Amino acid sequence: MRKLIQFKNIVKDFDGQLVLKGINLDIYENEFVTLLGPSGCGKTTLLRILGGFLNQTEGRVIFDNEEISHVPPYKREINTVFQKYALFPHMNVYDNIAFGLKIKKEPKDIIEQKVQRMLKLVNLEEYAKRNVTELSGGQQQRIAIARALVNEPMVLLLDEPLGALDLKLRKEMQHELKKIQQEVGITFIYVTHDQEEALTMSDKIVVMKDGEIQQIGSPTDIYNEPVNEFVAKFIGESNIIDGIMIDDYRVMFEDKIFDCVDYGFDKNEKIDVVIRPEDLDIVPRKDGKLKGIVRSVLFKGVHYETIVETKVGTSITVQMKVSDEKPVVNIEANEKMSANDFYLDVSDIEELTEATIVARADAQAWNPDTEELISIQKITYDIKPENGTYPVTFSTAAGTSVTINMIVKDENRVVNKEYQEEIFAVNFFKTVDELKESIALETDLKTWANASAWSLEDDTAVEITSIHYDFDPENIVSGTYTVTFATEGHEYMIDTTDKYEVGNEVGLMFQPQDIHIMKKG
Amino acid sequence: MKQSKKIGSKIYMTLIMIFFYLPIIYTIIFSFNSSRSLTKFEGFSLQWYEKMFHDSTMMESIFYTIVIALFATLISTIIGTITAIGLSKSNRILKGIVEQINDLPIMNPEIVTGIGLLMFFSALGVKKGFMTLLLAHIMFCIPYVILSVSPKLRSLDPNLADAALDLGATPWQALIKVIVPQIMPGIISGALIAFTMSFDDFIISYFVTGNGVNNISILVYTMSKRVNPSINALSSIIIVIITVVLLFVNIIPILKEKKERKNNET
Amino acid sequence: MRQFKNMAYPYMIWISIMIVVPMFMIFMYAFTKHGNDVATFWFTFDNFIRFFSDIIFINVLKQSLYIAVITTIICILLGYPVAYIIANSKEKNKVFLILLITLPTWINMLVRTYAWMGILQDNGILNNILSLFGLQTKLLHTDFAVILGMVYNFIPFMILQIHTSLTKMDKSLIEAASDLGADKIQCFLKIIFPLSLPGVISGITLVFLPAMSSFFIPKLLGGGQYVLIGNVIESQFLTAGNWNFGSAISLIIAVIIMISMYITKKIEVKNSTGKGGIIH
Repeated sequence: MRKLIQFKNIVKDFDGQLVLKGINLDIYENEFVTLLGPSGCGKTTLLRILGGFLNQTEGRVIFDNEEISHVPPYKREINTVFQKYALFPHMNVYDNIAFGLKIKKEPKDIIEQKVQRMLKLVNLEEYAKRNVTELSGGQQQRIAIARALVNEPMVLLLDEPLGALDLKLRKEMQHELKKIQQEVGITFIYVTHDQEEALTMSDKIVVMKDGEIQQIGSPTDIYNEPVNEFVAKFIGESNIIDGIMIDDYRVMFEDKIFDCVDYGFDKNEKIDVVIRPEDLDIVPRKDGKLKGIVRSVLFKGVHYETIVETKVGTSITVQMKVSDEKPVVNIEANEKMSANDFYLDVSDIEELTEATIVARADAQAWNPDTEELISIQKITYDIKPENGTYPVTFSTAAGTSVTINMIVKDENRVVNKEYQEEIFAVNFFKTVDELKESIALETDLKTWANASAWSLEDDTAVEITSIHYDFDPENIVSGTYTVTFATEGHEYMIDTTDKYEVGNEVGLMFQPQDIHIMKKG
Repeated sequence: MKQSKKIGSKIYMTLIMIFFYLPIIYTIIFSFNSSRSLTKFEGFSLQWYEKMFHDSTMMESIFYTIVIALFATLISTIIGTITAIGLSKSNRILKGIVEQINDLPIMNPEIVTGIGLLMFFSALGVKKGFMTLLLAHIMFCIPYVILSVSPKLRSLDPNLADAALDLGATPWQALIKVIVPQIMPGIISGALIAFTMSFDDFIISYFVTGNGVNNISILVYTMSKRVNPSINALSSIIIVIITVVLLFVNIIPILKEKKERKNNET
Repeated sequence: MRQFKNMAYPYMIWISIMIVVPMFMIFMYAFTKHGNDVATFWFTFDNFIRFFSDIIFINVLKQSLYIAVITTIICILLGYPVAYIIANSKEKNKVFLILLITLPTWINMLVRTYAWMGILQDNGILNNILSLFGLQTKLLHTDFAVILGMVYNFIPFMILQIHTSLTKMDKSLIEAASDLGADKIQCFLKIIFPLSLPGVISGITLVFLPAMSSFFIPKLLGGGQYVLIGNVIESQFLTAGNWNFGSAISLIIAVIIMISMYITKKIEVKNSTGKGGIIH
C-alpha cells in the first residue's frame, strides 16, 4: 500500500494554547483510519488542517507526495462530511449532491448520471427532489456522504458524522459506512470520541489525548495491548492494577507472582497490569488465583457486571462522643441555640473560615415555636497554629450565645504505603438529637469527622467509599462510639453469565495471556 | 369573571384601534370632500386628486421621494450586506468599534444627525439638493440593513461556507451560492426597512436638502400652514399603497406555507 | 473565508466620514464662538453659558422635559395593557393584532400628524362629539394636542417592545410561580412585570428620545408660537443662522437623553435585584 498522507510534526496554537503538540502520522491508501479521543484532544483540529480549513502553526502536510499546506480547500482532492452535515438548506437533495460537479462545470448529463449513482449508493433514489430540511437525521447523513463522494475524492474526512443520530440508527450507519468505504475503495479518515464506533469500523485507530498521539494500531492491538492507562481506560472497560515486573514473563501484583506473556521490561520495573473484564472468570474460592468478596452486581443485558473486592482500601477509625446536652434557651428573645466542640488538625488552621467553624461546630439558632432558623451574627474566636484548646463564641443579634471549644491535635491520619494513599479523620462530639435528626447520616458523619483521603502521588482527592459504624442512629444513647472510614480497595470488574450474590466469597481465575503489561505514566 | 375580563380587554383594544386608525380614516374620507373644509364633509368629489396631479411641486416631491428611496435602498442594501459579511469575519475589537459607531445614527436624536450632516455638507461646500439628500439617506439606512443582516449571519452554520469550499467552490462562489441565499430573508427585510425609513424621513431630509428638492414629508410640513386638502389626497394614496404592500408582505409567507403544506400532504 | 473581512473596510471609511466627522463638527461648533471659521478656533463655554443664563431657554427646556416625560408615562400606561392582551391572545390573532399595531407606523408621520390637525380643530370631529356633552373646548394648539400627537406617533414602539419581552418570557416561570403558590396578581407583580421590565426600558428609550427632540409635532399641533427645544435648534440652524449655539443646544439635549437613559437602566437593575433576585 502507498503512503497517501503524511503529517510531519504538526503543531497548532490557538491564541497561545497548544492544541496539537507535534503530530506525526502516516495514512495509507484505502485505509479506514479513526482519530479517537475525548473532546478537546485535537482530533477535529487535525482533520480541519487536512481539509484546509485551518493552517497549522508548524509542520508540514504531505498529500500524494506533495506539500499541500498552502493549497486552499477548494483545490484539495479531499472532501468532508461535516458535523451536523452542513447541507445547504436552500437547495434540494439533488442540487446539494450536484453542487461540487456544477462548480466544476461538468456537462449536465454527466452530473445527472453521477448524482443518480450516488443516490443509489446511499439508498435514497426516491428523494432527489426533496427539500433537505424535511429529511430525517439519518437521511441527511447519507446525503452529506453522497455530496462528498460524488466529487470522487481520494480521501473522505468524516467529523463525528454519527454524533447527532440515535443509538439504533448509529449502529446501522456504522455498518453502512464501512460498506460504502469498501465499495468506493478510498481512504476514510473518521473522527469520533466513541470507542465502540472506532473498534467496529476502523482498519487503524489513532488514539489522541491533549494534542498528542497516544497509540496507533489496529482495533485488536489497541484493545488487547493498550500502551498506557489512558488508552486502556478509554478503549473499553478494564481492570488496571499496580504491579512489578519481576523478570521476563513474571509479574507480581496483589503480593503474588504470576506467569504472563510479556517481556522486555527492566527487572523490578513498576508497571500497570491490565486485565479485561471478559478475561476474568469467577471460580470457587479455593481454585482462584485471587480471592475476594462480591461487592456489587449489575445486569447489563447479555451479562452481569460483577465487582469483586480482593483487598480493602485505606481506613481510619475515629471516636464519636455522643452526649445528650440540651440547647441553650434564651426565653426573652424566644431563641434556642446549639453548637458542639470539635477537633481540628494544625494544617487546617491556615484555611479556617467562619463558615467552616459554623459547619464543624454545627452551630445553629432557631425559634422554638416556628422552628425557623435564625442567623448567627457574630463569631468570636482566637486560634494559634499549635496544639491546644481554643474557645469560640457564637451569638445571634438578640444576644443568645453559645461557647464551645476547638481542640487542635495533629494526629489521626493513616498512610497506606502500598496504595500511596493517606486518609484523615478526627474524633468528634455530637448530641443524641443531632444523630437522630440526621437525614443523610453517612454524609454528616464525613462532615463531622472532617474525613478526607487523598493520593500521595499527586495530591488529588480519593473518594471515601465505605463508612462503618456500630450504632443504631434511631435508638442511640449518650456514650462513645467508633466510626470507620475507608477508601475503595482493590476491585475487579468481571463479566459473568451467572449471577452471584453480593457478599459471596469467590475466587478469580485468569490465564497468562489474559494479563497485559503497560509502562507506567 | 373570566368572561367580563375578556369583554373588558376587547373594549379596550377597540378603543385603542379607534385611536390608531381615526386619523387614517379621517384623511381618506376628507380627501373626497367637495369643499375645502377639513371639518365638515359636504359631498363626494375627486377634485383634490385632480388638483394634486396638476400641482407640479407635489408631483415633483413624489418623484424625488420615490427616486431617493429606491436609490438609497439599493445602495444601502448592497453596502450594508457586504459590510455585515465582512464584520462577521472580522476580529472582535474592530467589530465592536464599527457596531458602536453604526449605532450612533439609530441612537442619536434625528435632529442631531441632521444638523451634523448639514454642517458637514456646507463645510465641504457641497450645494444642498438631490445629492446631499441621497447621501444622507444612504447614511441612515445602512445601519438598519446591517442590523437586520448580522443576526442571520450569526445564526448560520459555520460549516456551510466550509462545505462549499470543500466541494470545490472558490470563496467568492461560496459567498454567492451559499451564504447570500441563506441570509436573503435578512437582506430583504433590511431593504424593506431602508425603503420605508427613506420614504418616511422628514427630520434629516429637512436639514440637508435645498434648492427646491423636497420630499413628501417636507412638502406636508411646509404646506401645513395653509389648509390644503390636496395633502389629504396625497396622503390617502400613500396610505393605500403602504397598506397593500404591507398586507402583501405579511400574507405571502402565510399563503406560501399553506401551499407547501398542501403539496406535502399529497 | 478570512479574506471576506476586507469587505468591511469600505464602510469603515464611510462611517468615519459620514458619521464621525459630523459628530465631531457638532462638538467643535458647540465649543467655539460665532463665525463659522474653522481656522480661528477658540475654545469657549459661552454658548452653554448663554443657554443656561437665559430664563426663556430654561423654560423651553423644562417644557420639553415635561412633555417628553408625560408622553412616556402615558405610553407605558396605555401601551402595557395592549401588549399584555396581545401576548395572551391566540396565536392566529396575535399576528393580525401586531400587523394592526405596526401598520400605521409605516405610514408617513407627517401625514398622520397632519390628520390630527383637522380632527382637533375648534369645529372638528372631536369637538363635535364633545359638544354633545356640552364639553366643547379648545384642543388644537394646546399641550394636550402636542402630547396626543406624540403619544399617537410613538406608542407603537412601546407596545412592540413590551410585547417582545412578554412573548420571549419562559412560560414555565409563570407555571413555576403558580406551582409555588402565587395567585394571578402575585404572578403578574412578582414574575411577569419584573421580567418584562427590559421591554419597558427599551420602550422608554424609543419614546423619550424622539419626544424630547421632536420639532414638527409641536409645530403642527402646538401652533407657530409653541416652542420646544427641537424648535429652538431648528430656528438656530435654519433662520437665526447661529450654528454654534444650535450645536451647543443639541449637545445639551443629547446629554440629557443619555443621563435619563442611564437613570432608567439603573432603576431597572435595582428593581430586578432588590425584589428577590433576578440577576441578569
